[in-house]
Amino acid sequence: MLKIIGLKTSFGETEILRGIDLELDERESIALVGESGAGKTTLGLSIMGLVSGSVSGEILFNGRNLLKISEDDFRNLRGKELAMVFQNTEDALDPVCRIDDQIAEAILVHHGQSRKNIKAAVLKLLMSVGLNENKALAYPHQLSGGERQRVLIAMALANDPDVLILDEPTASLDALTKADILKLFRSVINCRISLVITHDISMARALTQKMAVLYAGRIVEIGRTEEMVTNPRHPYTRGLIRSYPGMTTTRDLQGIPGRMAQGLDGCPFHERCTQAIEICNCLVPQLREIDERLIACHRGGIVPLLEIRNLGMSFDSCSVLRGVSLTLFEGETLALVGESGSGKTTLSKIIMGLFEQDSGEILLEGQNVNKRDASFYRRVQMIFQNPKESVSHRMNVLDTVMEPLNVQKMGSKEERQRAAKEALRHVELSNDSDFLKKYPHQLSGGEVQRVAIARALALSPKLLIADEPTSALDPSVQAKILKLLMNLQEKMGLAILFVTHDIALARKVSDRMAVMLKGQIVETGATNEVLSHPQHPYTRRLVECAAAASLGMETGESQEESMAANNFKIKAEDFIIGKRPILKIEDY
Amino acid sequence: MNREQNSRTSILNYIIALAVIFALNFILPRMMPGDPLHAIYGDEALVAMTPQMEASLIREFALDRSWTDQLLAYVINLLHCDLGFSYYYRTQVSSVIMGALPWTLLLTGLALIIATALGIILGIESGWQRGATLDRCLVAGLMFLSGFPDFFVGIILLLIFGVSLNMAPLSGAVTPYAGLKGLDYLLDALMHLILPLASLVAVQLGAVYLLTRNTIVTLLGESFILTARAKGCSDLCIKYSHAGRNCLLPVTTATGLRIPHLFTGALFIEIIFSYPGLGSLLNSALDARDYPLIQGILLIVTIAVLTANLLVDLLYKRLDPRVKYAH
Repeated sequence: MLKIIGLKTSFGETEILRGIDLELDERESIALVGESGAGKTTLGLSIMGLVSGSVSGEILFNGRNLLKISEDDFRNLRGKELAMVFQNTEDALDPVCRIDDQIAEAILVHHGQSRKNIKAAVLKLLMSVGLNENKALAYPHQLSGGERQRVLIAMALANDPDVLILDEPTASLDALTKADILKLFRSVINCRISLVITHDISMARALTQKMAVLYAGRIVEIGRTEEMVTNPRHPYTRGLIRSYPGMTTTRDLQGIPGRMAQGLDGCPFHERCTQAIEICNCLVPQLREIDERLIACHRGGIVPLLEIRNLGMSFDSCSVLRGVSLTLFEGETLALVGESGSGKTTLSKIIMGLFEQDSGEILLEGQNVNKRDASFYRRVQMIFQNPKESVSHRMNVLDTVMEPLNVQKMGSKEERQRAAKEALRHVELSNDSDFLKKYPHQLSGGEVQRVAIARALALSPKLLIADEPTSALDPSVQAKILKLLMNLQEKMGLAILFVTHDIALARKVSDRMAVMLKGQIVETGATNEVLSHPQHPYTRRLVECAAAASLGMETGESQEESMAANNFKIKAEDFIIGKRPILKIEDY
Repeated sequence: MNREQNSRTSILNYIIALAVIFALNFILPRMMPGDPLHAIYGDEALVAMTPQMEASLIREFALDRSWTDQLLAYVINLLHCDLGFSYYYRTQVSSVIMGALPWTLLLTGLALIIATALGIILGIESGWQRGATLDRCLVAGLMFLSGFPDFFVGIILLLIFGVSLNMAPLSGAVTPYAGLKGLDYLLDALMHLILPLASLVAVQLGAVYLLTRNTIVTLLGESFILTARAKGCSDLCIKYSHAGRNCLLPVTTATGLRIPHLFTGALFIEIIFSYPGLGSLLNSALDARDYPLIQGILLIVTIAVLTANLLVDLLYKRLDPRVKYAH
């Protein structure tokens, strides 16, 4: 059992680890992830007693505090009970010693044994890591990167250690070698405590049960690996996962704005966090358990910005929305997809207060929205499908962008002008006086939509509802507008409710997806999950049609079906997940 | 290419170098203006030479025949270890040189071994505790010492230990006419050796030490040292069998390059201590303008340096498995 309490490591004045608490039971494996400089390797080295800086706190291994024992005792544990595989396979082996001698040394240091026994043991170890016997006499430079990695693993396993630390074990390997090495790791990891230091989320997922995210020397989130990856709850964890290119990632990669700063007051992440509040920059958040996950965040992780509960709405007797529930988190894009008439636009108009719901409630930042006053519109803004219609043709660019500021009576006229120009700069439009005086008919479609976006952004809202914002634009302008929105989201933490019927588009811009059918949400989930494993038959068909359309294929069958769907009302409840859909045809 | 082929190639290179030196030794006197015999033996020798002697020399070098015959005669002479006749010592040059060579080899060989071994050990210890008092003192002291020319250190040592303290003999390799035998003879030789050896070592030591120390400092930051520590190796094992072993590579190269310098250093030291080696011999040969002897000594020294370099090359390949070809 390995227990780390309040571990602090510093090199001179700089503190690298600022109080790490971690507990690992036997056979438990944990992934340590985080950006470079977060302190992952230092944590590994601290456990091994190999850091040159000063270490304080407690590292309890089988009840002994490793920081209190003598150097000789520690040396006896190293390589025997605690082993580490280092990241740089290029120089991690002594260049002038033969492989077998280096492995033999690992055993000889701890067990006095005869040469002959050792030789047999070394060969056995080499075989166990998948290396040929004839490699035993080779020198490191005669081996490939993968083979060197295997030798390092053999050395670490030589004395069957209780704790195994793997530091970026596959960083320099190609995909095929990596897959082989991963297989090897999986077999060696499960009978001991293992710490896997990595940037590679997919490796963490493949190897470990738990995951700890390190930031600037502190753990910000710990939980089960699978859940952490599919549902990150700390904004930093989400940032890491968003920037990791997986094979199923559909959205464009997004970085985390800013860079890691050491020694900040308060939450270490607050400078880069888009949901930081006042307390974040003066008080360090402690790890606390929130819904079976340990999170160090004053706001309890990523906050739900918009919650819709059981919303119902009907026009006369025709019910348009039935029991719609949705949650939109800070800084994420939720794509609301579905065919025309499924109630997407109605839903977004209800959120904006353009329609009144019949039942259910809407919560913004945890508060029930009863009346939509100025403060509501300061936080929620909308952009519409057709910019030519949504921007008044009698207002010039400056007046258009300043209008919401005027309505909110924000500051003096100069301040409003400055804010408007700033918003125009954000959407990458010129803000010279000639342009400011132009009218919509003098601008291109893309420019007008940018003006509309600038108008929505002028108030720095937290939530943007985008109803088919690019369907009236040509693909190149559409691409630019979407890139713009994504950049703004990265910078300002804007949450976007992206209403569209275009699955291919939703795939590229959204983190999560909600599929609507006949006024009901039939499926929600991470976009890549929904698209690669659609659960609901309707989703499956949507995805198939989108895929076929983008490949230019005839979709004879589904075309028929969609015609049928127009003619007959399909009851969503009758779709049963995993079974053949049963279509009920009502009298129509 | 495999290892054996490599060794063979590098030995071949040395043989070519040697052949070039022999060829130069053959060509140069014959390229000089005037009579080759004149060029080989110099003015004074010719004046002192009897006609019979001159005739026998001309016969020996085949100077009256074609250059192919001359070359053949030269090669045959070399194969017989015949480097010519020293008119000053009135005997064969080869036997004069053979009388002096062992003393020089003893002096330079021991100086090389001691300076290298001591330099490496001090370098490792000092690099291991970089920045500590021991390290600082060693760096400062040895840098100071290696700044002096060899003969200056020799003179200082001679003045202090030989003249003032009277702890060591002033000159020579053994006490003359003492008729010592066995262990006493060895001890006597050793006493005579100490001062010249010490001055050579003192000057040579600095370079080895500094190189080793700096190499160790860099090596200690390498990942494989961390790997060794993670295995649980003791400090001694890390210092010598990992870092030390790896620092041998640059140190060996540098040692190979320093050997000619060591020989020239020994020439001066021998003159100061009147040590009967090649240096003193060269000195008297220069005084007497005994050209065959001078030429012979230079040839021997060149061969010695080449051989030493060959050994270093072969050793380097043994030390570093990565080197396929040492050049």
